[in-house]
Amino acid sequence: MNSLKSQGFAPVVSHLKKDGSEWTVKEKIMLGLSPKEYWAVQRRNPFNWVLWVIYAVGLPILVGRFIFGLGWVTHSSYDYPWGLFLGWGLFTMVPLSASGFMMGTTVELFGRKDFKPIERLGLLNGLLGYLFAVMFLQVDLGQPWRLIYPMFVSLGPAAVLFLVAWHVATYLSCQVAELVPAFSEWMGFPKAKKFIKSIVLGLTIAGIILSTLHQGALGALFTYAPGKVHPLWYSSPFQWLHFFVSAVFAGLSMLIVVSTLTKWFMRWRCDENYLNNLSKLTLGLAKGASMALITYLVIKIIGIAHDNNWAYLLTGWGQWYMFEILVGVILPLIFYTMAVRNSNASLARFAAILAVFGIALNRLNTALIAFNWQLYREIPHWRELVIVITVYATYIVVYRAVLARMPILYTWKEKK
Amino acid sequence: MGGRKKTLLGMAALMLLTAPLAAQSWAAEGPGTVELGSLANYYSPVTFDHAMHTGVAASCADCHHHTTGLAPTNPSCARCHKAGEQTSSVACKSCHSDQRFSAENLAKIEGNPQLYHKGKPGLKGAYHQKCLGCHTTMGGPTGCQDCHTRNDKGDAFFNSGKYAPAPSASAGHEGGH
Amino acid sequence: MKKLNRRSFLKGGLAGGAAIAAVGTSKQAAAGTHNFGGYPDSMGVLVDLTKCVGCRTCEAACNKEQGLPVPDKPFDDPSVFEEKREGGLPRRTSEKAYTVVQKYDVPGREHPLFRKVQCNHCNEPACLTSCFVNAYKKTPEGAVIYDKTVCVGCRTCMVACPFYIPAYSYSSPTNPVIKKCIMCYDTRLKFGRPPACVEACPQEVMTFGKRKDLLKLAHQRISEKPDAYIDHVYGETEVGGTAWMYLSDVPFEKIGYDTHLGKEPIISYVKEFLGMVPMVLTIWPALFTGFHLLSNRKDALKNEDNKS
Repeated sequence: MNSLKSQGFAPVVSHLKKDGSEWTVKEKIMLGLSPKEYWAVQRRNPFNWVLWVIYAVGLPILVGRFIFGLGWVTHSSYDYPWGLFLGWGLFTMVPLSASGFMMGTTVELFGRKDFKPIERLGLLNGLLGYLFAVMFLQVDLGQPWRLIYPMFVSLGPAAVLFLVAWHVATYLSCQVAELVPAFSEWMGFPKAKKFIKSIVLGLTIAGIILSTLHQGALGALFTYAPGKVHPLWYSSPFQWLHFFVSAVFAGLSMLIVVSTLTKWFMRWRCDENYLNNLSKLTLGLAKGASMALITYLVIKIIGIAHDNNWAYLLTGWGQWYMFEILVGVILPLIFYTMAVRNSNASLARFAAILAVFGIALNRLNTALIAFNWQLYREIPHWRELVIVITVYATYIVVYRAVLARMPILYTWKEKK
Repeated sequence: MGGRKKTLLGMAALMLLTAPLAAQSWAAEGPGTVELGSLANYYSPVTFDHAMHTGVAASCADCHHHTTGLAPTNPSCARCHKAGEQTSSVACKSCHSDQRFSAENLAKIEGNPQLYHKGKPGLKGAYHQKCLGCHTTMGGPTGCQDCHTRNDKGDAFFNSGKYAPAPSASAGHEGGH
Repeated sequence: MKKLNRRSFLKGGLAGGAAIAAVGTSKQAAAGTHNFGGYPDSMGVLVDLTKCVGCRTCEAACNKEQGLPVPDKPFDDPSVFEEKREGGLPRRTSEKAYTVVQKYDVPGREHPLFRKVQCNHCNEPACLTSCFVNAYKKTPEGAVIYDKTVCVGCRTCMVACPFYIPAYSYSSPTNPVIKKCIMCYDTRLKFGRPPACVEACPQEVMTFGKRKDLLKLAHQRISEKPDAYIDHVYGETEVGGTAWMYLSDVPFEKIGYDTHLGKEPIISYVKEFLGMVPMVLTIWPALFTGFHLLSNRKDALKNEDNKS
């Protein structure tokens, strides 16, 4: 698409074609190209070749999970009931999707309109991340058709997971609502956009409340197993705070990473408003992320002090912990700070990658690696990894499809 | 007293004196074998060689506690039972219930505040703890089928013998960890 | 930005509030220091490990009573004791076995120690507190039972159980459920009868009765034979107390028991967060509305200036 654009192709930015007639929905879906041109573009894209391979291998295995049961795609472990579906799909993807409430709060609540060009990308990142976290959950649940049970059939309100279920469901609705303006612009439903704008403050505050609690709740889930998570990754009073605060810089960093990817691979879709402001906004996000990082570092140290776990730092596990803190917290903190001071967006982008890696490592450590630290290590079944890659690839495909069409990276030109 | 009367008295005295001894030696024999079958279910009844055991036991009290009239040798027991109270029946099942944990029996135990031995084992437990307790320390049969052969119902219960599962290659690999 | 007038604020606040009220059902009572301790007359089982000879009759009885699948090996096959799972750990409960006996060779002890493992039917079970569909129930009789008709299969209970007891029937694609000892509640306990394993045991390793009576019995046994027992009843206080308790002549940490569990039920570790939930639900709306009003101060003042 980038090469097409350089040849003079103009992407769809309004309801009207060059000749004044209106785009049909089908034409908009085809990006304003003829079907033949559209599929030619898809075939030429090397990333799509990778996707074909992933689906060729992964789709049968994903289907097989539902035909043969979890026993076919996991090690059926009773000691390690949770694996990569939750370790990656839920525990890692949810904090990385915190950009939704971060951007909503920044623009709508704190009134920082300068972040508007990147607001919708943050909201979309949030929505798709949570949506696919639910997809991963459905793959992991033993009886996914009973997903609504905690809401309508048999309620267990004392459980942390109850809160997660309700909040994720409600929050997804919030996020869908927050993206209705983009959708309604693209489809031409002005009333929907107007309605959402009238309740946007309520939606934003609801988003903050829900996010605080469910990001924290994902951490609190591990307080059910105080002896099973290694003490360096566990803190009874602060687990939820550790997860919540780290979600703040996780969302911001993921947004930096995604926006960088759009700049490199979807430049044709980005308008000048987006591209010209991106470096400045990246540094703005970097500022926020660095504040969250230093806060997180300190509350992690407080957590160790509170339970007097200093001696664990001198063990092998301690070295692994310090690696995670160094690469995932301290280095991003330093690089973000340097980037902001020197107005170096590229350095901020590198810091963002480290921070995202650090979040993934922290969640995988808590859920899988440092879990059952007194027993034995469990390597997930290879089919689990294949399914994770397949579902994540689908997330990327949907992400790309939405970004290519809806006014996220560009501003829609309303008809006068 | 006349001479004849003296002899009679002397004989009576002698008999009285030796009566306990006689009683002792009679009781030391007891039954030759005892068929213990009241609990038989998965195993055949036990043909218990009582006569042989009277030879290896130091005292009747080793198995029958104080019920034969002898004081127990264990000082903990003798604290209360040094008189060695004899009971009307010395059979295990007369004191050890075969329904140890029924609601009725539990209520009976709970409802008797004077009862010291609230933890008294039931009949099956008494048999096995007493027999195996001695056999493991002094040497004797300790395998289940050494004392009572398992019947067909027992084989099915244990999934053993002709009911044994076919050895499966996948056994142990379907999770279970 | 659209002018924040009272009407739009109320609309937004109401919409947000309604959303929150709908999910505000996770309110929890503030943590008290008083633990439940179990129903006063609930039953329990005292397991005297000094008496177990490893015959596995209890496993066979459970298998038959609960209609479990045919085992991989006969129940009189002692080779199962040598089977090790990952990490060199001994055999554990599985979807086919609600109870297993483990063998421990203890240096200095003439015979190996055999340990029966099954659900301990805690007074305040971690599985129950972690279940978001309320599938677990602590019955007044003392058993912790499970309702497989509501289970979604999230397996949080398996993460929560400090004793690693619940197993899951991963092999079933259409109806995988948790598998664990239910103290024979449906077939025996609710009729006042002891569990099948207790009744089957030839050595009467297990004593069934009211938990409070069993505790007295356990301590009586220890005081009558202090050399024969470790002076501890495992399960008396661990994680808030369990209905199944253990006596041993070998230190518990040497025979696979976790002796670092503490006296608090697992829910005590979660209460700190659960207490935060209603706080956040209540404080955040006002706090962030305040932030919004304060951060928009300049715009609001400018608008007023423009109006006047």
